[in-house]
This record gives sequence, structure tokens and C-alpha cells, in this order.
Amino acid sequence: MNNYTLNPLATNNASVDTPPHHQKTVIKLTDIEKVYQTKTIETVALHNINIAIRKGEFVSIMGPSGCGKSTLLNIMGLLDEPSSGTIEIDGASVKSYSDKVLARLRNEKIGFVFQSYHLINDLSVVDNVELPLLYRQLSGSDRRKRALAALEKVGLSARTKHFPNQLSGGQRQRVAIARALAGQPEIILADEPTGNLDSVMGNEIMDILLRLNEEEQTTIVMVTHDELMAKKTERLIRLFDGSQVS
Amino acid sequence: MIRHLFTLIWNRKKSNFLMITEIFFSFIVLFGVLSLAFFYLDNYRKPLGFEYDRVWVMNMRWNQEKPEEVRNIQYRLKQQLKSNPEVAQVALAASNIPYTMNTSNTGFNYNNRFTMADWFTVDKDFAEVMQVDVAAGRWFTTEDNAAGTKAIIINQALRNEIFPDENPVGKVIREKDNPDRKIVGVVEIFRQKGEYSSDKPGYFEYLNTDYASNGTAGGTLDNLMIRVKPGVTRAFEEKLMKQASQIAQGWTIEIKTMNEMRTSDNKITLIPLVIFSVVCGFLILNVALGLFGVLWYNINRRISEIGLRRAVGAASGQVYRQFIGEVLVLATFGIIIGIIIALQFPLLQVFGVQTGVYVAAILGSVLVIYLLAAGCAAYPSQQAASITPATALHEE
Ligand SMILES: Nc1ncnc2c1ncn2[C@@H]1O[C@H](COP(=O)(O)OP(=O)(O)OP(=O)(O)O)[C@@H](O)[C@H]1O
Ligand SMILES: [Mg+2]
Repeated sequence: MNNYTLNPLATNNASVDTPPHHQKTVIKLTDIEKVYQTKTIETVALHNINIAIRKGEFVSIMGPSGCGKSTLLNIMGLLDEPSSGTIEIDGASVKSYSDKVLARLRNEKIGFVFQSYHLINDLSVVDNVELPLLYRQLSGSDRRKRALAALEKVGLSARTKHFPNQLSGGQRQRVAIARALAGQPEIILADEPTGNLDSVMGNEIMDILLRLNEEEQTTIVMVTHDELMAKKTERLIRLFDGSQVS
Repeated sequence: MIRHLFTLIWNRKKSNFLMITEIFFSFIVLFGVLSLAFFYLDNYRKPLGFEYDRVWVMNMRWNQEKPEEVRNIQYRLKQQLKSNPEVAQVALAASNIPYTMNTSNTGFNYNNRFTMADWFTVDKDFAEVMQVDVAAGRWFTTEDNAAGTKAIIINQALRNEIFPDENPVGKVIREKDNPDRKIVGVVEIFRQKGEYSSDKPGYFEYLNTDYASNGTAGGTLDNLMIRVKPGVTRAFEEKLMKQASQIAQGWTIEIKTMNEMRTSDNKITLIPLVIFSVVCGFLILNVALGLFGVLWYNINRRISEIGLRRAVGAASGQVYRQFIGEVLVLATFGIIIGIIIALQFPLLQVFGVQTGVYVAAILGSVLVIYLLAAGCAAYPSQQAASITPATALHEE
């Protein structure tokens, strides 16, 4: 299931020799089904999904277009509800959680990175990075401090006052990663973070994620189309037509 | 969060410019309407200075008679009307009685102080007919028949302008080309133009209409003011008409109750307010629809932003409040510009309206604009808040 040994950071099969920080399960999906119901057709986007993501893991998800990767990531990130099955975060089912509690979980535990960056064009780089912190009780100067620290980590300290459309694709994705980092989440969910980038910029992004995983033990789940990127992670989940194939 | 909203609006100022302008214009028009309305309301609460109820007005137009002849006829007519048991008192007054369009005004000069003042020529019975109260000094009496100086009674507004620190009673106003005028009394207020008008400087000037003691002096007056006793009905008008046509043969006589005059005069006064309000209503409706449309459009354009905010931790209620908040911030920009303009009116005192009226109008306009903006934003914002995050992120 997860025996890529190319990753220099995780030389062992996690299920055989789990480092101490890998023991706790942070996200657990059990019997997840997701069916999209439109007027005429019913699309089964996910079927019988059982995945446990342990703390400190770097997991990649691969599969052909339309196989349900984004849907899976959205369900893990509490952005979407499954049609059936249970999601547990830190061992507790989120089924009964209100919208407010779910929002707080997303805010504190999870950071998202998207293929198309999803930056707000009318906000400067640093304002974009501050966004998750706006939904916390923090002073303005505290927010700014943390946002700048996050930008520092992705090497964008020189661009804080720029606007997204003044940046290259790679820089934009680094802003998006800084935004995900600003809230110091335990988990980063990245949906094809390098999908819109050439290989040089893609590798830059990948290096940032690897470093985060190694240095700060941030749990990362990444959707990718790129076998080379996937090989750098500890574990690979393959989807086909909504079902796990490995 | 508020600062965040200001940053957002400020950075989007180009696309928000139109909406801010619209809000600004509706603020100004609303301010105009409310100023007028509050001005009327403020005036309405002040005393009139007279009692219009049970006052009937007999307006007279004569033919080629000489002034003495007119005065003689009027004198006899007044005595005749007064002798009716239905009548409490009768007075003669010039054409500018309450609730007419007629105005007489003149400059009033004393000790290097000057103001324009309304000027009402009346006889000594006018106070009793109109129930005008004297605040200082006295009302006109036959003492004032003495030739040479003319007796006048000023109102408090005129006193405030010309005699702010001294007692005006007994003062004589001397002007070349005019007979001397001596102030014999002060009345609190007398608002000829009715309850919606402001209190302006004015004075009564005495005219002796007692033909027997009058000889040739003085002018002629157009109106006989009749105070009838309680319970007198319109049927009495016929009797009055009959007496008038016997004494003033060939004159055109018209009788109206002051109640009727008041109703029609007040209607005319309120017309501008009504027209202005209707225009304002349409403008505001237009702004409301515009706001609603722009918001709707904006929110649809910003669905992916909504998705992102949900992903980074905004609860649905926070998205709702953000959009309402943005509109209120937007409105604030329009309102601030509006207030800057509106404040010029009390600062420059263009219309001589009390500052309190403008302040009330500004506060009222601010409130209405905020309510309007929040009302228009409510539905689109609720739609924005109800989008599920995954769907919102799907949109590009
Ligand atoms: N909101 C939706 N309504 C209906 N069907 C949907 C919706 N979102 C996704 N689907 C369908 O669910 C399936 C999985 O979609 P998903 O976006 O998860 O694919 P994916 O693996 O991320 O594809 P890609 O690699 O192209 O991003 C697809 O068949 C898609 O058409
Ligand atoms: Mg996808």
C-alpha cells in the first residue's frame, strides 16, 4: 500500500516500522461513499473508502482525472460531507458537529493548498496570508507577525506588499502555502499544488512541503498527477473510479 | 475584521465607485427631504400665536369709492356685524392675515441694527378676535389715536434681532420719509404663514378704524375678522352676507372660515414636501434595486473567494456577516462624503434653519441609508453564506 522508499525522509514502510510521531491517527475515513445527484444522472464519486492518515505522514493521492481525488480531499478537509460513512478527526466523529465547529476545525487543524491558488486578487500578499488568522481571536499585530513569519518560510519576504497578479505562478503557490502555514495547522491538504507549474517551480513547491513535513512534522496529504512527486512521499493512495486500488 | 473589510473595499474602490456615488446621491436627496420634513415638524410644535378656530373672514372689494367713504362703510359694517348675538368680536385687518399668500414686509432700522420684518396693519380689536397675547407692554388702545407717531407692537423674534439687551417698550423708531413708530408692546410669536412656517421678525401697526374719531387719516383695510361665539353654524354666513350687501352696496364680499383657509393653505405648503418625497422615494427604490443587483453580481463573481474563506475557517454566519459588513462599509464611504456636504448647510446657515433640524436630518439619513444597504444585502449575503464550501471552491 505504501512502500515507496525513494523518499529520503521516510526510508521505512510506515506500517512496518512506524516512527513515534506516526502513531496517532489524525484523520480516519471509514466506508466513505460520495454520490453526486444531479437532475438526470447520479455520479458515484467515491465508493467504499477506508483511509487512516497518521500524524506526521506525507501521503500522496493519484489517479486519473475524474476519479474522485478532489472529492476525497474535500471530505478529509471537512469541506464536503460524504453521502455515507464516518470521518474522524483525532479519534472523534465529526458527524454531529455544527457548521461553526467544523469551521473552527478547518481553521485550526487544517491548511488547504489548491491547484489554482485561490488567492484574493484585491488583497496584498500579506493580507492574503493573514486570511485564516482573521477567523481567530488575534490582535492585528499578532496576525501580521505570523503572516510575515509564514512568508519567510516560503521565501517570499520581499513580496509582502505585492498583489497576486504581480507574481509568477510559483510565487502565487508559495503565497498559498504561506497562507496554509500561517495558522500553524497540523495537517496540510494540497490538491495538485504543482499542477499549474513547470517542473522547476513544481520542485520548489515540493521541497517546501517536504521540508515542512520533515522539520515541523506537519501531516500532508497531496493529490498529484506526477509520479515523480508521488515517489517523494511516504505513502501513495491510488484511486480509480472512486475506489481505492492501492 | 472591520479593518479587513475597509482594506477590501478600499482595494476595490474602482469597481465600488459607482455604488458609493449612488449611495452618496441618495443620502443627499434624503437629507434634503428630511431637512424639510424636520423643519416643518419643528415649526409645527411651536405655538402659532393666534387662534384660528371660530374666526370668520369677510374679504371686501369695493368699487370707485373714495378712501373716507370706504372707511365710513366699513365702520358701519363692523358695528352692524358686532351687534349680532352670534358674534363675539370684529376687527379690521390688512390683506396679509393668517393663511393667505399675501405678505407685507419692510426694513426695520434702529441703532444701526437692521432686519427685514413682516408688517401687519390691524385695528385695536384684532388681538381679541385672533386671541393674540401680549408678553410685554400693552395692546393697542384709543390712546394710540393721537396723531404724529404710529403705535406698533413687535414680536419676540424682531426684539431678539434689534433689541437683544434692552426693553423695547417705549422706544421710538425714527426714519426719514416715514412717520415715527413707537413700540407699545411685545407679543411672543405670530406666525402668519401657519404652523409649518418659521418664526420670523414682524410687527403690528395700529390703524384707527373708528370713523367717527378718525376723520381722514390712515388707509383702508381689506378684511373684517369676525370671531363667532361657540356653537354658531355655517347658516349664520347667510345673515352676515345679507347685512354686508345692505351696508356695502355693490361691493364684492366673500366669507370664509379661517379653518378652511388653513386647510387649503397648509395643503399648498406641503406640496413641495410631497413632490420631493415621491422623487426621493423613486430614487431610493432605484438605489435599492441597483444595490441589490450589484451585490448579487458581486457575490456571484466572488463564489470562489467564499469557498476559500470557508476552507480557511469562516463559518457560514461569518460569511454572511462579512457581506453585510462590506455593504455597510461601502455605505459608510458614501455617507461620509454625504455628511461632509450636508454639514455645509448648518455651517453656512444658507436657509436660516436651526442646526438641530439639520442634525436630525443627517442622523435620519444615515439610519435610512444603513437600513437600506443592510436590507438590500441581506438576501444576497444569505445566498453567499449558504453555498457549500466544496461547491464554491469548484467554481473558477
Ligand atoms: N459538484 C458536483 N456535482 C456533480 N458531480 C460532481 C461534482 N463534483 C465532482 N463531481 C463528479 O465527481 C467525480 C469526481 O470528481 P473530482 O473532482 O473529485 O475528480 P478529480 O479526481 O479531482 O479529477 P481531476 O484530476 O480532473 O481534478 C467526477 O466524475 C465529477 O464529474
Ligand atoms: Mg481534482
